[in-house]
Amino acid sequence: MPNRRPRDLLPLVAPVHVLILGVIVLPSVYVLWLSLTASSFGKAPVFVWLDNYARILADPAFRSALWNTIVIVVAAVHVELLLGLLLALLFASGLPLRRLLLVCTLAPYAVSEVVAVVAWRYLFDPDAGPVTQALHALGLPVLDWSFEPLHAMMLIALLTIWLHLPFTFVILYAARLAIPAELYEAAKIDGARPFQAFRRVTLPLLGPAIVVALLFRYIFAFRIFSEVWLLTGGGPARTTEVVAVYLYREAFSYNAFGTAAATAWIMVLASLVLALGYVALLRRQVDVDAH
Amino acid sequence: MRIDRLARGIGKGVAVAALLVWSLVPIAFVVTSSFKPGRDIFAVPARYLFAPTLEHYGALWSRWGVFFEGLANSALVTAGAMVVAVVSSTCAGYVYSRHKSRVLGASLLFLIVVRLIPPIVITLPLFPIVNALGINDTHLVLIVLYATFFVSLGTVLMRTFIDQIPRELDEAAAIDGAGRIGILWGVIAPLALPGILAVAVFVVVFAWNEFLFAFVFTGTATKTAPLVVSEMLGSIDGVDWGILFAASTVQLVPVLAFVIVMNRHLVAGLTAGATKG
Amino acid sequence: MTDTTPRGLTRRRFVASTLGSAAALSAVPAWAQAKTLNILSHAVHERVLGKDDGDLLRDWKAANGVELVFTTFDSNPLQDRLFREASLPVTDFAVGYIIDNRPTSAIAALFEPLGPLNAVAPIEDFADIAPGLIQGLTVDGNLIGIPVRHATGGLFYNEALLEEAGIAAPPTTLEELIEQAKKLTFTAKDGTPVTGMIMASDLAVFPVSFARAFGGDYITKDFKLLPKPEAMVKALAALNDMFTAGALPRSYATTKNDDQVTWMQQGRAAFTMITFARYAQFNNPEQSRFPGRIKAVQFPKSATYDGPMAAVTEAWGMVIPRNAADKDLAWAYIREVASRRVTLGMARNGNGPVRVSTYAEPAFAAASPVAGEEAKALATARGAFPPFPEAARAQQLFLEDVQLAVLGHKSPEAAVESMVSRITPLRPA
Repeated sequence: MPNRRPRDLLPLVAPVHVLILGVIVLPSVYVLWLSLTASSFGKAPVFVWLDNYARILADPAFRSALWNTIVIVVAAVHVELLLGLLLALLFASGLPLRRLLLVCTLAPYAVSEVVAVVAWRYLFDPDAGPVTQALHALGLPVLDWSFEPLHAMMLIALLTIWLHLPFTFVILYAARLAIPAELYEAAKIDGARPFQAFRRVTLPLLGPAIVVALLFRYIFAFRIFSEVWLLTGGGPARTTEVVAVYLYREAFSYNAFGTAAATAWIMVLASLVLALGYVALLRRQVDVDAH
Repeated sequence: MRIDRLARGIGKGVAVAALLVWSLVPIAFVVTSSFKPGRDIFAVPARYLFAPTLEHYGALWSRWGVFFEGLANSALVTAGAMVVAVVSSTCAGYVYSRHKSRVLGASLLFLIVVRLIPPIVITLPLFPIVNALGINDTHLVLIVLYATFFVSLGTVLMRTFIDQIPRELDEAAAIDGAGRIGILWGVIAPLALPGILAVAVFVVVFAWNEFLFAFVFTGTATKTAPLVVSEMLGSIDGVDWGILFAASTVQLVPVLAFVIVMNRHLVAGLTAGATKG
Repeated sequence: MTDTTPRGLTRRRFVASTLGSAAALSAVPAWAQAKTLNILSHAVHERVLGKDDGDLLRDWKAANGVELVFTTFDSNPLQDRLFREASLPVTDFAVGYIIDNRPTSAIAALFEPLGPLNAVAPIEDFADIAPGLIQGLTVDGNLIGIPVRHATGGLFYNEALLEEAGIAAPPTTLEELIEQAKKLTFTAKDGTPVTGMIMASDLAVFPVSFARAFGGDYITKDFKLLPKPEAMVKALAALNDMFTAGALPRSYATTKNDDQVTWMQQGRAAFTMITFARYAQFNNPEQSRFPGRIKAVQFPKSATYDGPMAAVTEAWGMVIPRNAADKDLAWAYIREVASRRVTLGMARNGNGPVRVSTYAEPAFAAASPVAGEEAKALATARGAFPPFPEAARAQQLFLEDVQLAVLGHKSPEAAVESMVSRITPLRPA
């Protein structure tokens, strides 16, 4: 096969690239142009250079949205990683009915954001939610999420963790299974206690998988929209608004296409910065594989 | 020693119980509450024993016909997106697996990097484009959108899976006179079935559940099921939680069953996708 | 234009349309011989027109061979979609529904001026339509929308709960309302925890009503922001006082319009403020635990203020996008919906009627015992704010400060100060 001319390959690779170019790349370039103009319904675009970016960066609502996004990303992704790691170790330590338990762990992956919001909003209903009632009965503090911004953020983070834990878990679990058992045998012979074995064997060898899981989740958590939109709508008083919701408001509530486009490009740049780290990491891995 | 093992067993048992509660209780509440009589759903204290009823499903059927249209739309869009994504990813994955060149390598990296652009970014300009093409409010829009957001992952996955198929098989088929398309669909595709299934699981789960694009791009004719459920959350007649739970259950059960059946492929796909691309 | 009745088919037209439909066969379903009118609206607009035997337009559709296809969205997405469609080179939607605080000059320019159409084929008894509503849809001298629905706020109360708490009559002053709402924050006989009053936190209507009760306002017709800031301070203080006393739900910040309906129907709240047209829904025996017991009066003023008070109203109008294809058919639809008969029919289905004469109709009074109060409120009602390009953003900033003040995260004075500093630059120059 290697002697095929590249032109023959074109029909096979073309569909994927046509889709990506037509649906993602060209529209993104158009958005870039839009971000340098001011426009709204019934108003032709006027070129304004970087004015939109300056306006957004000066807007307290954007800064608070950015801050909220970062808080949710940092808090949710790390808690998720910790839970995923614990779960991976739990499964690796040997469990009866492993396949069944694995399927149960994966179940939230199948749940849509909308249905997840329905479930969690009900569980934590401030008046009659089963979890609220249970916490009351136990004399524990409840999540006052419709009133306290911090509690609302916690509920959003919980929901995000619940939806994405299966992903983080599977990556870490697969990496854990790939560690040869002999290494643990060797550590045991050297007299290492379980915790020492974890620190000297598991953690270093899981390192790459942990970084991959983290970066993936950083990038995807940064786009969070539906959970926030459907759960709190960004309230109370815009205190839980995230960048994607800010973008939606600019574009679809205020019809300020320039600032919406600029917000979009700030999101793109942030994702690409995160992605660069990811690509650099992949490169290093490929190099390691090659040696 | 024995006490130590007992303690470990108990520890594991507690951990497993916590895991099950965490993963399953929210789902279980949605499903069981859909069979609860309306007045028991928000009862204080919560009622865990109740006479199951189908009243909410009846009401869903008679009052929310649009939800069932939504299910049909979701099914059509999901199937369409799956076919488009699987076929195009398999073709491209085959090329990337069997041919290496600087251009191809760069284009693959490009595919991966572009995929990192947040979907919400393209909601702004797509409307005029979609309209210019005259496919406004058609299923085609969502099919193309959903497929596109999975072709890069799909391509990488298919490349990984096809890499494991010995090249000698292609060559043998070529000697027997098979063309490239013949080799791809006759030899490679059957052997790469686990990869195809993995891609299919991703696309199906995503397309069946997706909210943002459906929210921005669909009109009356193409509303998907998640969108109708979200409308029930903010309905002009007030939220009827019983019907909401019934609809959520109907939306959830098929995809949950699908994920359960396909769990091996899901795990294989997640593993290959995350470590290789 | 396409006024082809089946009998009026000429041979040329027949050939042309046959060729046309043959060409379009793959794209257009065969039953599309009847003319289709695509309408972009909120679900409620379609609902009040009735369906099946109660379909108010059934005869009109049959007589004109028209099929109506509604595409419905929630209010905000609907306005966005409507303006988006109207900005395209051509749109399939010939009729859209617009909220009267949206048409700025730029937006209004996207829609067909209706004055000339009304001159050629006038709407029945045009002068009967409330002049204030007509004025709201007249931009730069052009009438761009025909009023079709208004939502004018009244104070609804649950008579049964009032009785239970030993209150004989609904409040006549704002102070009384607050006192009664606090008193009605209790556990009812049947064990339901009752909250004095419920109101949505994502609409300007509520804080604006409280401010007007003290003689203040949010943004006046001539774009004056907070004409009496001290009235807004008092309004926010009153709301915060109610919230602190538990007379507003703890979930105030996430409360939506729909919650008001459910809470009132279930007896979880004793008072709410919402459009009079909701009367039927509150008292619907299938949904409400208190059919016939939920009544409405005009929203009361403060005892400390004796000037006039305008109720807050919001109106919907029917518009024709300039880029629509079949404007004649669109106008025919609008004329029919604006007729006395259909206005009355919609009113009986829970639509705030835009014709003055409808309030005098016995059939309407029978369906809505609050019609008298509604007519009184409508007489002086005014929108929460006038249209201007940054109105949506301004409303968001306004509500943000209101919420912070109501929840007690900010003092009323600080909230008002913040409103002034943040909203002033958004007003039209």
